[in-house]
Amino acid sequence: MTIAPKAPRKLSMKDRYSALTRDLDWEPSYVSPDELFPQTKFEGIIIHDWSKWEDPFRLTVDAYTKYQAEKDKRLYAVLDGFAQSQGHLSLTDASYLNAMKLFIQGIAPNEYNAHRNFAMLARHLNGGGPRFAALCQCLDEIRHAQTEIHTLANYNKYYGGFHSFLHQHERVWYLSVPKSFFEDALSAGPFEWLISIGFSFEYLLTNLLFVPFMSGASFNGDLPTMTFGFSAQSDESRHMTLGLEAIKFLLEQDERNVPIVQYWLDKWFWRGYRLLALVAQMLDYMLPRKVMSWKEAFELYFEEQMMNGLFQDLAYYGIRPPLHVDKAIQEKEYVSHQAYWILYQFGHAAAFTTSVPTDEHMKWLEEQYPNTFPTYKTLWEKEKKNIENGGRHFIRGLPQLCQVCQIPMGFTEADDPFVQAQRESIFEGERYNFCSDGCQYIFDHEPVKYRQAWLPVHQIYQGNCGGPTLPDVLEWYNLKPGDGGEYLGSMDHQNWLKWHGEADSAEGIDEGDAAYAGKGH
Amino acid sequence: MQIELRTQVIEPQRKTFTHISDRYGDRPSTRYEEGTIDLQSTVNYHYKPLWAPDKDIYSPDFSELKLADPYSFMDPRQYYYAPYVTARADLHEAFGSTLGYLEKRGLFERLPEAWGGVLQNVVLPLRHYEAAAQMISAYAGRYGWGTSITQCASYASFDRIGNAQILSRTGISYGGGTAEPLALAKTAWLEDDAWQPMRKHVEQMMVEQDWGKSLVALDVTDRIIYQLLFVHLDDAAITSGAGSYSLVAQHLSSWFADQRKWLDALYKAWVADPEHGAANAATIAAVVDTTIATVREAMAPVAAAADSLIDAGTTDALSAAADQARAAYVTLGAVKEN
Repeated sequence: MTIAPKAPRKLSMKDRYSALTRDLDWEPSYVSPDELFPQTKFEGIIIHDWSKWEDPFRLTVDAYTKYQAEKDKRLYAVLDGFAQSQGHLSLTDASYLNAMKLFIQGIAPNEYNAHRNFAMLARHLNGGGPRFAALCQCLDEIRHAQTEIHTLANYNKYYGGFHSFLHQHERVWYLSVPKSFFEDALSAGPFEWLISIGFSFEYLLTNLLFVPFMSGASFNGDLPTMTFGFSAQSDESRHMTLGLEAIKFLLEQDERNVPIVQYWLDKWFWRGYRLLALVAQMLDYMLPRKVMSWKEAFELYFEEQMMNGLFQDLAYYGIRPPLHVDKAIQEKEYVSHQAYWILYQFGHAAAFTTSVPTDEHMKWLEEQYPNTFPTYKTLWEKEKKNIENGGRHFIRGLPQLCQVCQIPMGFTEADDPFVQAQRESIFEGERYNFCSDGCQYIFDHEPVKYRQAWLPVHQIYQGNCGGPTLPDVLEWYNLKPGDGGEYLGSMDHQNWLKWHGEADSAEGIDEGDAAYAGKGH
Repeated sequence: MQIELRTQVIEPQRKTFTHISDRYGDRPSTRYEEGTIDLQSTVNYHYKPLWAPDKDIYSPDFSELKLADPYSFMDPRQYYYAPYVTARADLHEAFGSTLGYLEKRGLFERLPEAWGGVLQNVVLPLRHYEAAAQMISAYAGRYGWGTSITQCASYASFDRIGNAQILSRTGISYGGGTAEPLALAKTAWLEDDAWQPMRKHVEQMMVEQDWGKSLVALDVTDRIIYQLLFVHLDDAAITSGAGSYSLVAQHLSSWFADQRKWLDALYKAWVADPEHGAANAATIAAVVDTTIATVREAMAPVAAAADSLIDAGTTDALSAAADQARAAYVTLGAVKEN
């Protein structure tokens, strides 16, 4: 006997997805809702109806795992092939890897942080829909941390600057910029996290962060990183969708949320923008083969896409563009020059190398920045003379750091490239310094938070960083010969020439690592 | 004869990252190690959390259960993201095939009526249990100390929503493509007297502030529930003409076997810890004994409901499952023999 199966009356896609995700939720009876969701009140955000959250993508566990497993299979095949064929030899130049050193030291550990804190949202958001979306992103973020590490692990075998990225992320001065940025968000509540990372970082600024690194990889023969970039792209577009849904949801739930979200946008725009100074200098100075200038990237990905697109839409909710955005627009002409100059001067204490731009490179910079680069060109020409006279410029002292973004105070007033910008606020009798109006604004709103900052320079003075002398600190950083300082003559440079059969041309360059040995003045 | 390809030989300067060679020496590392060891920050935090101003953003003090070195525990499955999603893609694909077969052959309609009742009243409400397990695991994924643990917990969190989806899809199939069985199961979870002690237990686990204790409590509960529903009832189904139940149950019991691997290794590490071992064992023992007693009582009306439908000795099996769970912790050295 056979029984003909009934034709199933199918659920709609939306109902089916709901049955598989948010319908799992229930109102607790034996504990109070506040006990169950203790994190969603203290920030002042008011949510009336969690069911109004629109699921931006209807991904289920079976579809997610299948799709992601296929992507990873392809990615790891590329990584293995590249490693086996010594693919690193076909990079444009060993100096390209400085961008990737910065990436693994500054970004990969923060992908990991994002993973951990999306787990917080996957526990603490009251709605089943957003919890599941957060859980997917929690997994994506550990994917990104791990695939970035796996992508760059092969370079670590042959080049300096990669070997201690986790140790350095927690200690080295310039890495406190990305570390403090993410910890700022990790120490906030779930809604601020949604706006800071979910929206500002993953939507507003993502193209300025992600695209420059991945395009840089593609232009410079870094097939693994480029493949990683493509592989992460579909994850990133889900994250952007989630970020956009999050801000709209908060704004639609209650009018009283608008000023809170506006402050977070003001804060996290500037926080993110300052972090991107590291990307700006990478784009303009670190890539042997250029993709686009920071100015061009900023105009395209921020001014055009965000100012003329996104913020027009958000105006409907009473949201205006972030405060201090005008400063960022002014700074697009010079922020990369100043950021690189800072890194160059403190390069002896970094886990990447720097060098004076070549003539060809300076010509490109002049074309990109006709209004501002001539000023900086004078600086570099002067530095070239220093080097000819046997002394590359390194600053031996320690800089004043901005209390909020933690970048050394080397940015200038917008209208005068020779006047260093400095702002200060007094809080409970103590004076705090800032690089900009944007950073001061943030401090003044939350002084109790920002006065806690673990400022690397203060920590050195307090004796918490290995000892009182520079070599003590560098040892504590676990910087090895070849990691930092000047690129020309560095171990990476010498090896590169040797591997390419050009070792002879390296003669005349200082043996060993001139920068690490502390030459200069 | 071999073909000899010539490639440029370049001697590497180092075989792996410093934080891995510091532990294991300079040998090539696995991708699991690269994606796990020391990934979580442990020092020089900038700001105290607004939500816990007395703690750091990562802190061993979110639980009584501690490891002097969190990486003394490593996942025996060596799951980093890629093998994890690959394993789960296989699991869900296998379940999808099963479901396709059950639908194609109309096997849910041929399920003996009493077994339909078991599926509806005893098994499907557990999708809400799985949803709670998702939250408890995610909690450990955020507040745990050390990536080796939190990574397992995060994947487990995703597993549990996956299990809930397996149960929900089974329910939808059983309902001939409608969500009716799910709605009935939800009502049972929320309103049936038989489920209330269990729901109370679940809600109380969800608000436990100590991620380690809630993880152990959940695991104790899992051991009893998975044994009862997906091993004991699986056997009973086969002998009483309800093969389709067994076909579904196999995927959940094989998932649970995988879940056991990391948790059992974690118990061993907790108990063996040179600094915290004794204190850990005491904490685990207390949670295990309380939870076993609670679940024994809370699941009794559910087992009785099963006994009213089928003759599978479910009440006795519950008692046996509870004893078996305790014995397992004794074997792991986490609990003393009675």
